[in-house]
Amino acid sequence: MRYGRKILLVVMLTSFALAPMAARANTIIADLSKDHISIKSNFAGEKLLLFGAVEATVDGPISDIIVILRGPGENFTLRKKEKKLGVWVNNAAYDIGPLPGFYAVASTRKLSQMAPANVLREHSIGANAMSINFLSSNIEPSEQAEAIAGFIRLKQARALYAEAENGVQIIGGRLFRAEINLPSGMPVGTYVTEFFAFQNGRLVGYQTGELPVDIVGAGHILHQAAYEMPLVYGIGGVVMACFMGWGVATLFRRR
Amino acid sequence: MPRGRFDKGAQMQIYLPIAEMSVNILTLIGMGGLVGFMSGMFGVGGGFLMTPLLIFVGIPPAVAVATEANQIVASSVSGGLAYWQRRAVDVRMGVILMTGGIAGSYAGVQLFKLLRELGQVDLLISLSYVLFLSVIGGLMLRESLNAIAATRRGQPLRARRPGTHSWILRLPLRMRFRQSKLYISVIPPLLIGFFVGTMSAIMGVGGGFIMVPAMIYLLRMPTNVVIGTSLFQIIFVTASVTILHSVENQTVDILLAFLLMVGGVIGAQFGAIVGQRLRGEQLRALLALIVLSVGLKLFLDLISRPDELFSVTRMGFGG
Repeated sequence: MRYGRKILLVVMLTSFALAPMAARANTIIADLSKDHISIKSNFAGEKLLLFGAVEATVDGPISDIIVILRGPGENFTLRKKEKKLGVWVNNAAYDIGPLPGFYAVASTRKLSQMAPANVLREHSIGANAMSINFLSSNIEPSEQAEAIAGFIRLKQARALYAEAENGVQIIGGRLFRAEINLPSGMPVGTYVTEFFAFQNGRLVGYQTGELPVDIVGAGHILHQAAYEMPLVYGIGGVVMACFMGWGVATLFRRR
Repeated sequence: MPRGRFDKGAQMQIYLPIAEMSVNILTLIGMGGLVGFMSGMFGVGGGFLMTPLLIFVGIPPAVAVATEANQIVASSVSGGLAYWQRRAVDVRMGVILMTGGIAGSYAGVQLFKLLRELGQVDLLISLSYVLFLSVIGGLMLRESLNAIAATRRGQPLRARRPGTHSWILRLPLRMRFRQSKLYISVIPPLLIGFFVGTMSAIMGVGGGFIMVPAMIYLLRMPTNVVIGTSLFQIIFVTASVTILHSVENQTVDILLAFLLMVGGVIGAQFGAIVGQRLRGEQLRALLALIVLSVGLKLFLDLISRPDELFSVTRMGFGG
């Protein structure tokens, strides 16, 4: 953690200590170890630290905290393979969305122990609570369930969906911290952070924020060019290849 | 927490901006080197080995194909220059082949795009590879085993003599190719070019392994201009494939292509040295076995039940 962040944390704690019973809108206050994520050419994923403090209510200290990091929403095409003429081929296709390309939730204990299912669903907490819309109609509920399970499995396999039921640690009854793994294949865009404080199944504190994720440097230029000026990009690739080929032939010329 | 200073494993990762994944940089250069070594040793382009290898390490097949076309531009420029300087290129024939080739590459990229939208492009790539690798590998193996057997018996195999012009070469639109000492119809070279150009766009290969035999046995070109002319037209056809895939599918990863080129050129130099010390027919038998085993692996992947039946892409980004 950088020093600036440590100072911020100290300031946050002091403000809690100095205003013990003042009326405050929120019982949870939180921040991240970074204010943006830059995907450089050597990006191999990283860990994001989410931390903050909770204030006890009249009912006592808060021990149920949920932290969510949600990537930008996109539509996806999900395909299922089937064996046809002896070969496994993509057969059924489902268009679903919008769904976050990245979704991580960390909590102090099992989500189902903190709040009833309808409350979790209301706040879209947990991958199972996400409502998955099928853009194509007339799909049997059992087929839908299978497709949804497949989608979540695929995202989990690439570490793009993650749930850690002991991912939030409470320190000294007030401070909390959670680490979320950002894999190298994370989609770019504006991410949303959400912090929930629950007490006896009721939501007592909430904070939200944003986290921009961008490709930077040479990778950014290539990515932009490939999608926005594809003709120039393609010609650039050919010119680069010609120079490489010519350079090599000149360098290794044998007489 | 800051990443440890000694965490070298993570630092060797490179993020590929189009494949949108990070891969170990040494793996990529090593793969380029290995395939470059084999292409230097056997005197083949290597695209038909590199594209499956890229797919095996997890690069999306559509990106592997388009990026490999970009790499082949570099390897055919470096290989072709020597033939150009020796004047071992039939430019007129090259232009005719390339005209067919560029048209074929356009058709191939359009088919690729269509199947990508239908989610079937991976199947197209795999099936094309299984078909070509098993046919080419099988023919090469048979030919080289016969040659080995003949040498053992002490009777060298008679080289096949070019026969008289077949009827295809006497079709209309005949043209004189002075360098090749031919006066033949342009229709067969246009069709051969078209076919190889389509393959190039679908499989990410230069297609020399089809083009060279076709030039010798179908067009009856003299062997001294065959390789130079093949490389000459491959430069333009793979350049066309690279540009068309960039425009239509956005699947060319220039950074990946660059790293493969770096590994490829180094490997090719060493491969050429080793290749000169080995006997031709044994070398061909070895290459045939490699080609067949890559084809077999792709075939097994197609027929065995995958661990995960589902696959997901962003909508509108098929394959």
